[in-house]
Amino acid sequence: MPPPDETADTGTEQARRLNFNSVFGGLFVALSAVLLLIIPDQIEKPLIIFAANQNDLKPSLFPQLVAVGFGGLGIWLFFKSFSIRERNELRGLRLPAIVNISVTLLAMLLYGPLMVSVGFVVASALLIGFLSTFFGNRNYLLTAAIAVAVPVTMFFVFTKLLATYLPPFPIDTVLTRLYLL
Amino acid sequence: MWDSFIQGLELAMRWDTFAMMSVGLILGMFVGALPGFTTVMAMAILLPLSFFLDPLIGIPFLLGVYKGGIYGGSIPAILVSMPGTGAAVATTFDGPALTKKRKARKALEIALYSSVFGDLSSDIVTILFIGPIALIALMFGPPELMAILFLALIVISATSSGVFVKGLLMMCLGLFLGLVGQDPIGALSRFTFDIFAFRAGIPLLPMLIGVYALPEILIAVENKTVGVIRQNIRAREGGRLTFAEFRGCFRSICRSTMIGTGIGMIPGLGQVVAAFMGYAAAKNASKTPEEFGKGKLEGVAAAEAANNAVNGPTLVPLLTLGIPGDNITVILIGAFIAQGMRPGPQLMVEQGPLVFAILVAMVFANLLFLVIGYFAIPLFALVVTIRRSILLPLTVVFAFAGSYVTRSDPLDLVILALFGAFGYLAKKLSFDVTPMVMAFILGKELEYSFGQTMVLAQGNLLNYVFLERPITAVILVATPVLSFLLWRKSKRMRAEFAVDDVG
Repeated sequence: MPPPDETADTGTEQARRLNFNSVFGGLFVALSAVLLLIIPDQIEKPLIIFAANQNDLKPSLFPQLVAVGFGGLGIWLFFKSFSIRERNELRGLRLPAIVNISVTLLAMLLYGPLMVSVGFVVASALLIGFLSTFFGNRNYLLTAAIAVAVPVTMFFVFTKLLATYLPPFPIDTVLTRLYLL
Repeated sequence: MWDSFIQGLELAMRWDTFAMMSVGLILGMFVGALPGFTTVMAMAILLPLSFFLDPLIGIPFLLGVYKGGIYGGSIPAILVSMPGTGAAVATTFDGPALTKKRKARKALEIALYSSVFGDLSSDIVTILFIGPIALIALMFGPPELMAILFLALIVISATSSGVFVKGLLMMCLGLFLGLVGQDPIGALSRFTFDIFAFRAGIPLLPMLIGVYALPEILIAVENKTVGVIRQNIRAREGGRLTFAEFRGCFRSICRSTMIGTGIGMIPGLGQVVAAFMGYAAAKNASKTPEEFGKGKLEGVAAAEAANNAVNGPTLVPLLTLGIPGDNITVILIGAFIAQGMRPGPQLMVEQGPLVFAILVAMVFANLLFLVIGYFAIPLFALVVTIRRSILLPLTVVFAFAGSYVTRSDPLDLVILALFGAFGYLAKKLSFDVTPMVMAFILGKELEYSFGQTMVLAQGNLLNYVFLERPITAVILVATPVLSFLLWRKSKRMRAEFAVDDVG
């Protein structure tokens, strides 16, 4: 993607109109105001020993500088936005693309709780099977083989070789039973 | 420094270091050879693996992914005119034309040899430079460190893809996200919004994987990924590269190596710009410039030597000052921090042998790179045809598993998905996430050195900085000037070469 042209043809009608950058400029100014308002409540009070602070530095100083930075830069972006020629690529998204992204994001969000409740291997197999089919793969045998083999391999690499934790059910249970038998 | 180097050399001689580096190289080449899968994405996803390995295994493993990934991008660029990574775009000028002339094998081999030469030479330069720069950095106190960190953040914002002010806003956002948790001076809780999990701050790993790996997946799924390259892959076609042909390209390889090495030390420019500059320089210097773009081996060699020569020098500002120069080194800094190695002036003093061991391992990685590349080129050529409808779900699983294992906290998975969505939106709205991630990583250190400077200044910061700390004053005064110059240079290069991002 070519970089945005900040200098050329700054006076076009298109550029003079409010655009998504102007909106973001405004949003950052609003964020600055909100931050400055909540800073006193959102920073724990420093410990007072013998009626004096441990040092003279106010804990709110740096956060306040960041908040002021948002405000100043937000104003800069607002005014700059009229001369920036960038395209909001979200507006160019067609319905199938929005559906694909939404479904993928939803699957990702559900994958977390699913992994914790049914275990890494089962949740991953379900996710791989679903997404692969959704993306258009119709070789079900290959999908099934990969959906089982890869999560099982990953489970062993992470839990046995790297000694970390992944939600085990049902693999560990099955293996424990086999071992006991 | 010499003692540290010798100790580092001894430390690096481990079979497991070499073994994992080879695995990293193979994985890097594999991912690099997949069109649409970037090196940044591969490193973000494989980052958690390095956390649980010894530093001398984990970090060389990631460096292997880095080197392999940058080279791997040239394989589809040559064979099917689809750059596997951004760094390989310049390789598409001559690579596919060589394939059409039934010289694919020569093109792949010259890409390999020039990549190895560029990478190896720049790694040696890195080892030579890192000691003296570290010695200078050691003279810095908190005010100088504060000024350097501030300069680094502004420069990265200035050289990020997109508009300068948007880069600065993303930097502020990163600083704000870094405020969540505890303040680094008084350990006071802040911006936790009474959520207990936020008391430890926002975790780095889900953020890194979220903003660097998941948006690539979401962009790939905009159009369903059933498509697979059905073109016949002709990696074995044509004769092998002769020594005379290599010698014919040697001047261009050396020139590109110098260009890449210089670019690597400047934050924010990266492999893409280096590849284009190397290619343009080779074309300008050639007696037959009209042959460039029509299948000239020298074109492939120039681009590949330049983009690989960036790999080593990007570590100089990272290891000596703690400043990552681009999105790949941002991920590397995550690996260093996880290993208990805080990049910065003190690192060379506290863990000098380990740092040199990692650098020496990088040099050896190039030799492995040569061997693996030589034997595995036809195999990696087949990778180009793998169905993305299968690879993308596997990438999602790897990203989530990697995020989960570090803290075993389900909240990290939610944070990962949220940062993934955020990264996607940011990309679509032309906000570069790299200044945000850098500010998030460096913010605590900036705040800490700022606090120390304020205490040292006893309330009179300007007098203290300008009268008692001349180096700090020079850096602070130079910040807007340097930022402007680098912004202008970066903007001109990006416009000239129509590039957007690295990796």
